[in-house]
Amino acid sequence: MTTRAYAANTRAGEPLLTVRDLSVTFLRQGEKPFTAVDGVSFDVRPGQTVGLVGESGSGKSVTSLAIMGLLPARGNQVTGTAKFDGTDLLALDNNAMRDRRGRDLGMIFQDPLSSLNPVVPIGIQVTEVLERHKGMSRKAAMPKAREMLDKVGIPDPDRRLKDYPQQLSGGMRQRALIAMALACEPRLLIADEPTTALDVTIQAQILQLLKDLVRDSGTALIMITHDLGVVAGLCDEVNVMYGGRIVERGLRHDLFAAPRHPYTHGLLGSIPRLDGARGEPLHPIPGSVADNLPWAHACAFAPRCSQPLPVCREVTPDFVEDGPNALRCHNPVGQPLRDQEVSS
Amino acid sequence: MTISDDVLVDVQGVKVHFPIKKGVIFDRTIGYVYAVDGVDLQIHRGETYGLVGESGCGKSTLGRAILNLEPPTEGKVIFDGTDIASLTGETLRRKRQDIQMVFQDPLSSLDPRQSVESLLLEGMKAHGLVKDAKAANARLRELLKAVGLPAAALQKYPHEFSGGQRQRIGIARALSVDPKLIVADEPVSALDVSVQAQVINLLEDLQQEFGLTYLVVAHDLAVVRHISDRVGVMYLGALVEEAAADDLYAAPLHPYTRALMSAVPVPDPVVEDRRERILLTGDLPSPANPPKGCRFHTRCPWRQETRCDTERPQLRVVEIDGVPATHRVACHFAEAIASGEIRPHDVAAIAVDPSAQESDDFGSFGGPATVGEVTDI
Repeated sequence: MTTRAYAANTRAGEPLLTVRDLSVTFLRQGEKPFTAVDGVSFDVRPGQTVGLVGESGSGKSVTSLAIMGLLPARGNQVTGTAKFDGTDLLALDNNAMRDRRGRDLGMIFQDPLSSLNPVVPIGIQVTEVLERHKGMSRKAAMPKAREMLDKVGIPDPDRRLKDYPQQLSGGMRQRALIAMALACEPRLLIADEPTTALDVTIQAQILQLLKDLVRDSGTALIMITHDLGVVAGLCDEVNVMYGGRIVERGLRHDLFAAPRHPYTHGLLGSIPRLDGARGEPLHPIPGSVADNLPWAHACAFAPRCSQPLPVCREVTPDFVEDGPNALRCHNPVGQPLRDQEVSS
Repeated sequence: MTISDDVLVDVQGVKVHFPIKKGVIFDRTIGYVYAVDGVDLQIHRGETYGLVGESGCGKSTLGRAILNLEPPTEGKVIFDGTDIASLTGETLRRKRQDIQMVFQDPLSSLDPRQSVESLLLEGMKAHGLVKDAKAANARLRELLKAVGLPAAALQKYPHEFSGGQRQRIGIARALSVDPKLIVADEPVSALDVSVQAQVINLLEDLQQEFGLTYLVVAHDLAVVRHISDRVGVMYLGALVEEAAADDLYAAPLHPYTRALMSAVPVPDPVVEDRRERILLTGDLPSPANPPKGCRFHTRCPWRQETRCDTERPQLRVVEIDGVPATHRVACHFAEAIASGEIRPHDVAAIAVDPSAQESDDFGSFGGPATVGEVTDI
């Protein structure tokens, strides 16, 4: 109970992670440099769940890999800062980062089978984290590993400790991965499409599990997903990404009730809803990401936009913040931002 | 009797069992994966039938069995008056002109070394639909126009297109031989949401234009509900519920359907915060060793002491006010559950952490490696 109060109290507090102007450019010999993430800034507070939503190619996964220092050592250029509790993660060297990963920063990936070592039993894989960061012996770490498996809802944890990843179902593997990520009680957990490979009934289980863990431990969570439904149920704050930039940010209820960016609006209009009216045609967003304009001197979304202005193809829209909400658009859906906000 | 005239596909008691083999020199069959285990369904001409279920429930295998890509172990598939399952060789090949398939992953189902023109012509030539080059060319342009691709696409290769455009090529290829039925296996799951809607709308437009009949196999309940006239819900190789799409959504009767629907995330925080969630415990049991009785009883929050674990329920019409006769469900206690007479078990319904009792039910889910490999088929 005390932990829950802790989470609630610190929600308005100092950010745990402050990402500013994060850009990632991939350089390939003989090819034009490609900027996958382009000036992304956001904050994550303790106990808060922040969503990064976007389609494939929007830069949401690269953002998380850059924060975790998991991008390949060569062939890319990362600029900007990601301050975690005052330390810039992007400036840390490999060894210092290795100390952080698993201890302060946990990560869960989409495909649990390829993130787990197929020839090492689950129990050993969970204890490895504890041995590395807590200096525990394997013998001492085993009961803790068992406790973690139990905590993430794996039935019969004593037996599962000795099982290999292939002996577990997809949902159980994802639970094992969550157990590994949370073993050292990290303060920040990044979940990159954690339920995309799972069936809906299993997805519901895993989302509930994440929700409970975040609430009880006060861990901050960055949720990366393409599924607006997942975001609607889980995230406190949502960042919608398009073409490497955040185009809209809002509190969960505000964003879904009144999406301002035509892209967010279009996404919501193009999803068939289980509780919506049937027989009505969907309103897809025309074209594909291949039509994008460069952000440097236009709005990348302009060619697919439902209400483009001439200015959209000529001037990069600014990222205008208005309290917890923010928007990057020349011609938003509904009311424009208040004048003083635009000018400031 | 007018309805029976209307039936294009009549699936009667179809079973598809895959043998599990063991041994190096002598192949011994040590068991079967009961991928599809007794399915009856009818698809009417001009309708869209949606088959929905989680991975491993046999929905794709059933779709393939209807095309005889996976010959049924037992049962009949009557297509337009002929039993497809009994056809072989040339007669089967000719019949396939009427049934075409659209696959999930457009990139791996299109030959990377064939241009779009050659991809589209291949099927037409195989079925003798190409009379002369000029007519063929006109037909190709017509096809591309129908699926919303420029005529310049003919000379291009699959890798030059985006995912959505590739799926359009896959659809054009299916259309090229004038089929009566199109089986679409997860046609939009590999696509981004904004592009998904384009392909869904395209499928609907083409149905109107060419009077097609669809069997859509998908795991996404919202997509299936949107495009289907009737929906069948599968669980472990059998249909557990079948109804018109709106009826199914308005009053899901089978506990599994209810759980499935409550698990689908809705992009609306207001709905998400309020809705009742039925969280199922545990995983899908292995189709190589399905539970006795009702296949769902090991995970069912409404499970009763009697019948559920001994007697396999058949699809039946229930007598509940407001539920039409086309709505069939395979549950012994559907009426009592609908009226609220049987309440869900508290423990099982809310337990996110599967309890110790659950581990008994799932004691065998790991199994030997061979089983895992075969179930992936």
